[in-house]
Parts: sequence; structure tokens; C-alpha cells
Amino acid sequence: MSTGFSSAPLARIAVLAVIVVFFQIGVVSEVPVFGVSADLSPLLVAFVGLLCGSTVGAVTGFAVGLLVDLALVQTLGVTSLTLTLVGYWAGRLRELRDPQAALTPLLVGAAAAGGGMVFYSIVQFLLGVDAPVSLDLLRQIVLGVVVDTIVALPMWALVRRSLIGGMPDDPRRRRRRAYTTGGLSPLSRS
Amino acid sequence: MYDKTVRRRRALLALLVVLSLILLTAYFGEASGGSLHSVQRGFLTVVSPIQNGANKALKPVRDLIGWFGDTLHAKGQRDELRKQVDRLRRQLVADESEKHGYHELLALYKLDNQLSVNDYHPVTATVVAKSPNVWYSTVTIDKGESSGVHVNDPVINDEGLVGKVAQVASDGAQVTLITDSSVGVSARIGASGATGIVQPKVGDPNDLLLQYLPANARANSGEYVVTSGTISSSDDSLYPPNIPIGQVTSINEESAYRSVNVHPLADLHNLDVVQVLTAGQGTAPSNVSHLASALPPGQHAESPSGEQLASTGGGG
Repeated sequence: MSTGFSSAPLARIAVLAVIVVFFQIGVVSEVPVFGVSADLSPLLVAFVGLLCGSTVGAVTGFAVGLLVDLALVQTLGVTSLTLTLVGYWAGRLRELRDPQAALTPLLVGAAAAGGGMVFYSIVQFLLGVDAPVSLDLLRQIVLGVVVDTIVALPMWALVRRSLIGGMPDDPRRRRRRAYTTGGLSPLSRS
Repeated sequence: MYDKTVRRRRALLALLVVLSLILLTAYFGEASGGSLHSVQRGFLTVVSPIQNGANKALKPVRDLIGWFGDTLHAKGQRDELRKQVDRLRRQLVADESEKHGYHELLALYKLDNQLSVNDYHPVTATVVAKSPNVWYSTVTIDKGESSGVHVNDPVINDEGLVGKVAQVASDGAQVTLITDSSVGVSARIGASGATGIVQPKVGDPNDLLLQYLPANARANSGEYVVTSGTISSSDDSLYPPNIPIGQVTSINEESAYRSVNVHPLADLHNLDVVQVLTAGQGTAPSNVSHLASALPPGQHAESPSGEQLASTGGGG
């Protein structure tokens, strides 16, 4: 298992996070699709977790959440908490199951967006925000998940392309090595 | 080794969760002048120029994406607008005759010195950021304290009322839109003059509800709802009178007080340029605003319509 703590991927993740958050605020949130805007931050955090593991995923989630809350003048900590859990979950998924199906980013993106929105809503309810559960709210959440799922694949390609090579233990490399060596290291075979 | 890694991973997760909860609790519990709010304002001050630059640089991208959506809706909007033009033309002819009499009455009651928007020292600002979720109806603008913007200043655009300033940094400010649950605007129905409080419709963050109307209030679909020029508490923003807020879409009669559904005139999803009514120091609106906020609590007692007169003069 890899913790993924080395400076090169973290620097790449930091740059990517800043660019994505400002692009989210400046462009994506201004372009409603089906009446809602896509939210790139849970996708970014989930995909970083899926590529780099739970520790990096959780730290990225916390940092991206803090950046979003600061930039949008929202209650500090709510988005951090949500995205920390999203990043950790995606990282654990990689560490325990290492899913390789082509639709994995799509499903992980949908689950991250949906889970993130529901958790965020629960925290908001606990904080006493006046917006009772209604069909409109559920519709907004469902449409948000749909829109996030649509942008999940391009987002996955962007994150993967940005981080590939800098990752300590690329799942593809690991699989290829396991295939060519029959699951054994060349050292132990010789 | 494995156990150590697992312990370290779990400890880090616990640390981040606890840190988030501490931040959340501290932020939620402190006043708006607290240290975390100050840090947030400082961050806003630092990133406002960056956001402003990014906003300008990315505008072509935004416009391009928006163009596709706009084109899809353009035909329907054109047909709707043609019908509206026909209706308004007929209405204009009828209103012309009434206008003459209205001006005479206005002069008669010496109300021609009532406040206009220009008296409020409007500051034109560009929207540089917008909250992406349904929980926060806020936008960030590129003008702040250095341009004379203060907390609670009303914000309008060319279509109508947009919201009020919630937080201010030196070169940026956060604007809470009228669809935010924390905003209430004293308003009246243009034709009947019935007054009430406009608040977001619960469960539908894109629609408004004009509440606490008198039981005998009359309202028809399509009528305009405008600001009354009054405030309901000393913390409120003093919106100038007669700023359009929205159009009546339907009337609810199930409760003791009547309420009507109002669709906002301003397109709050596509805000680009707004005006902040700063009411510079020493101006009449500023003086009235200070006078209103200086009234003792007893003077702000709620009337049945939920509002307290602090009129800017004849508007409401």
C-alpha cells in the first residue's frame, strides 16, 4: 500500500486544485445545465484519491474544501469535512479493490457527487439552514449528480493526465508488472 | 509496518475530520467580526484581483458555452417577447392618459423630491464569482470598501433588485441575493399598493413569496412587485422605493394573511454587471438610513404586515 507522500505529485495536485477551483468559480458555476451547475471539486478530490490513495485523497479533500469555503465566503469547515471523506473513500476504494473497469471513473464520480451533496445537505440541516426537504431540493441534487456524472470522464482524463508519471505506484503499472511476472517480483523469481 | 501505516492513515483522517469540525464550530459560533471571518475577508481581498482577472480572461469561454444554451431558448423567448410587446403596447396607450394625471397629483402632494436611485451613489461592479450550490445564493463582486461599498448596501441591476451586500473586503464584496433565505425585502404590489415582505419560497430557491399581505389585499397575475422603501428592522437594508422585484405568478389564500408567488425580474443565474447603492455619507438616503437604524427597539414593533415605517419619502 502506498501513502503517496512525495513532493512532486503533491505540487501537481496543489496546482491542479487551484486551477480547478478558480475555473469552477469563474466559468462552470456560471453555466447552468438543466438548471444546475456542475461541481468539479468532489470529482477532483475523488479522482485524486482514486489515483493516489486514501491519505493523499483525504488531505486534498480538506485543502480543496478549505479553498472553496474561503473563496466563496461560506461556512468554513463544511466543504472541507465533506471533501475529506470523499477523498478518503475514493482512496480506500483503490487500496481495497483497485477497480480497473472503464466505467469506474463514471461511477466513482457519480457516487462522489451524490454522496458529497447528500452529506453536505445533512450538515446544512444540522446547522439549521432554513430549507426543508422538498421535491425541488431532491430534484436539484439528482440533476447535480447527473451533470457531475456527465463531466466525470473529461475530469478523470484531466486529473489522470496531470498526475500520471508523478504517482508513486500507478495501478496500471502495478497490474502490468503482476501480469508479466506472474504476480511475483523479478527478484524473487530469479 | 502494515499496522503502523494503517494507524497513521486513520490518525490523519481523524485529524482532518476533527480540524474541519473545529473550524465549522468556531466559524458558526463567532460573530461576523471574528477572527475566522477576518481571515476569510483577508483571503477575499487577496484573491479578488485574481478572480477579477480570471473572470475577464475566461469570459469568452463562458460566453461561448452560454451561447449554445441561449440559442436553444432564443426562439421561444422571441415568440414570448412578441406577445409581450403587443400587450405592453396596448397597455402603454392606456397608461399614457393616466400618466398625465399622475404627474399632476405628484406635484400636488410635493412628492417630486422623492429619492431616486442616483441619490444613492450607485457604484457599478462586475460579478467575479458565484456560489455553485443551492445552499448559498451569493455572488462576489469586484468593488469593496475602497469604492464606498458597505455591508447592507442594496444591489440592483438593469432588471430589478438583486440583493444586498453581506460582507465587504477592500476590493471585493459578497452579495447575498434576494433568493437567499436570510433576505427579506419590504415590498408592495404596484397596482393595489398592498405591502408585505418578499422572501424566498421555501423549497424553491429560484422563486419568491410576498408574505403578510392584508387579508383584503388584491393581486392579479402579471402585476409587478416593487420595493416599498421601508425597512422591517434596524439590521435591514434600506432599499430605495419602487425598484422592481418581480411579477406576481399566483395567489395563495389558505392562511390568515394572504401571500402571492413572485417570479424575480432579475435573472439571478446570469448576473454580470450590477450596481451597489452606496448612499454616500451626508446624502439624504444615508441620513434616513442612519435615522432608521437609530430608532429604539420599540419603534420597530412589527405591524401586521411585518414592516415598520422608515420611509425615504413617499415611495412606499
